[in-house]
Amino acid sequence: MPTWTAEVFQNEYLPDGATDVHAIVTVTSAGTGHAGDVGGAAEAIIIDCSGSMGAPQAKIVAARKAAAAAINEIADGTWFAVIAGVGLAEPVYPPSGMVQADQGTRAGASEAVSRLTPRGGTAIGQWLMTAHEAFARTPATQRHAILLTDGKNEGESAAQLQAEVQAVTGEFQCDCRGVGADWDVAELRGIATALLGSVDLIADPADMAADFQAMMQTAMGRGVADAKLRVWAPQGAELLFVRQVAPTIDDLTDRRTNVTPLITEYPTGAWGDESRDYHVAVRVAAKPVGAEQLAARVQIEVGGEVVTQGLVKALWSDDSALTTRINPAVAHYTGQAELAQVIQEGLAAKADGDEDTATFKLGRAAKLAAETGNEEATQRLKKVVEITDADTGTVRLKRDASKLDEMALDTSSTKTTRVRPS
Amino acid sequence: MTCPQCGEPTGPSDAFCENCGAPLSASSSSASADIAPTEPGSARTHLIAPLHEEPDELPVPKCATCGGEVGDDGWCTVCGARASNGREHLAEQPSPTVAAVTDKGRVHPRNEDAYAISTAGTWTALVVCDGVTTATDSDVASLAAANAARDVLAAAPRPGRSPSARETHWSERLKAAALAADEAAGKTAGKGDDNPPSSTFVAAVADGSVIVAAWVGDSRAYWLPDAGPAEQLSVDDSWASVQIAAGVPRDEAEAGPKAHAITKWLGIDSPDIDASTSTTIATTPGWLLVCSDGLWNYCSSADDLRALAAKQPADPLARAEALVDWANEQGGHDNITVTLARITPEE
Repeated sequence: MPTWTAEVFQNEYLPDGATDVHAIVTVTSAGTGHAGDVGGAAEAIIIDCSGSMGAPQAKIVAARKAAAAAINEIADGTWFAVIAGVGLAEPVYPPSGMVQADQGTRAGASEAVSRLTPRGGTAIGQWLMTAHEAFARTPATQRHAILLTDGKNEGESAAQLQAEVQAVTGEFQCDCRGVGADWDVAELRGIATALLGSVDLIADPADMAADFQAMMQTAMGRGVADAKLRVWAPQGAELLFVRQVAPTIDDLTDRRTNVTPLITEYPTGAWGDESRDYHVAVRVAAKPVGAEQLAARVQIEVGGEVVTQGLVKALWSDDSALTTRINPAVAHYTGQAELAQVIQEGLAAKADGDEDTATFKLGRAAKLAAETGNEEATQRLKKVVEITDADTGTVRLKRDASKLDEMALDTSSTKTTRVRPS
Repeated sequence: MTCPQCGEPTGPSDAFCENCGAPLSASSSSASADIAPTEPGSARTHLIAPLHEEPDELPVPKCATCGGEVGDDGWCTVCGARASNGREHLAEQPSPTVAAVTDKGRVHPRNEDAYAISTAGTWTALVVCDGVTTATDSDVASLAAANAARDVLAAAPRPGRSPSARETHWSERLKAAALAADEAAGKTAGKGDDNPPSSTFVAAVADGSVIVAAWVGDSRAYWLPDAGPAEQLSVDDSWASVQIAAGVPRDEAEAGPKAHAITKWLGIDSPDIDASTSTTIATTPGWLLVCSDGLWNYCSSADDLRALAAKQPADPLARAEALVDWANEQGGHDNITVTLARITPEE
């Protein structure tokens, strides 16, 4: 049986008249088992086989190896299919629907992917719909896909893509990968976020097989098919936002469904043995000094049962030694969320040719990355800007920054570091 | 037995639920001094308020603020108010000469003080524990600690006749009571709680003319004789005491910003729980007062306390209530607990 814990990090002391309560809730799961333990699991591997995948040839060669590496990790009994993304999507293996993994089907699939050839266009929405249809023909309830592309969505309109993503949202999770410099980070991030998956850049095709293998291992290690985050806030309170802040930033606020007028619920997908941090902000009515109240219950729900709960409290005090304490976890993740935002905005401004805004935003990013100890972000920023002074956020845009470096900075912008031990 | 509020198992002699602090089936009593002395060997407390009939069916607990349902976590599921721990105001008079009152005060959201008293033997034992507000669930810890200490003192064998034998006997029993209190407080900590519940401890036993006090932290015992100098029997384990010992005037030390930082406490994160003890011999009738800092914050010196107490009604319960009211009138900035025993020395 999986065990769940929720730990709350906050300064519950509020000064007289204050209304906003912030808390970081760390949810940790253990003993979750393996994918498919409850209800069966299914995997789809979607490989872009558009014409550009053959230029250079290294991309399609890497994609074949990567698909085989992922297939090799699919556990016996798991339903799976490999789908080629061409103008429309075509089944690669099996010829239709899905098969259950065993030695024979894994060998058959590996053989089939070795013959993948570049020959079509890019219509990601169509690919997702095809995967969805294949999933629907299995009894498995835990459904996950890996999607590889090297280009922008071109075979269908943006509205069409959006409608198709919406149609499959909640049906399966999808980790998305882009290879090369010709895909659109924001577009793929939108798909991955909606489908509760990760997004990343594979700058060097040679790294693709290891990445696919790791992704499939992670997917196979998720023994809890579907958990939901639930947030209770008191009557009359306003839930300002609910945001996953580790391991990546993901604003969940707009994905809420109302369970009761006081309880909202957010999808979090499948869980392995892991830990995720959530930042919850609630605005409550101010109470007199000395009063105390519960500002939020933050819960994880699995199969209709609340499996763990963290309590976020508010306690009004006239002791400024208590009320002025800044909780390090809240401060850290507030900084990390802003870091992700200014990186994305800075790069968007740079792409639009607005160098002033780009310099300002990326300067702010350099300052935040230094302050929050996000060394990875600092290193990626340094490839795009010259950091003159991180303390003041003074930077110069690099004229010779490569598109790949900018994309790497963009895709990794939502990855957060944990709070530094003080 | 299970708690009617939270459903946790309870012990047969528990006055309150160890889990949520709700009062358990209280014995019938009234707010007057005519209650028969407790049966020898029984350490049961008489609750005077609030009292509820034992229900036939477990009711869904209702929030005192909005009437909503109280969740299993002890907070209202509608308005978020903390459910009462049943200790906003409690009073008890187990014998005509002994009384205790505890009150939430005016500023703190709940009462984390607890008392337990025993008149079971030929001696009287008063115990006060003050839960540390900055730690989690200290109200549960303080009550568990007070009850555990009271049980040790109530069950003590009868000491020898001589004052020195009694002093030795009660000093040892009081130290044992502090250890039992610490163990009980420690058990209330959750697993991996990085801010575990903690509590102060003070207990005093009056056995004939021999009065022995023991303490850990800054809750106090005073001897207030009708004649002669009044005495503070305990010496706070606090930053202020360290300052006073170093020569800082008492008023100044007790008003300092760190005055209330205690250097010893009960609980699993306690560095040192060896209780200090002191003894006095009553030569005239007087009052043994064991109290939390909710009272002495407003009246620290023993002589001032005696003067204040002397202005109050002579009945122990009325006097304890009056002292609590007085502390509330001074601001009620902390929880207030007053336990009193009228001592008449042996001939």
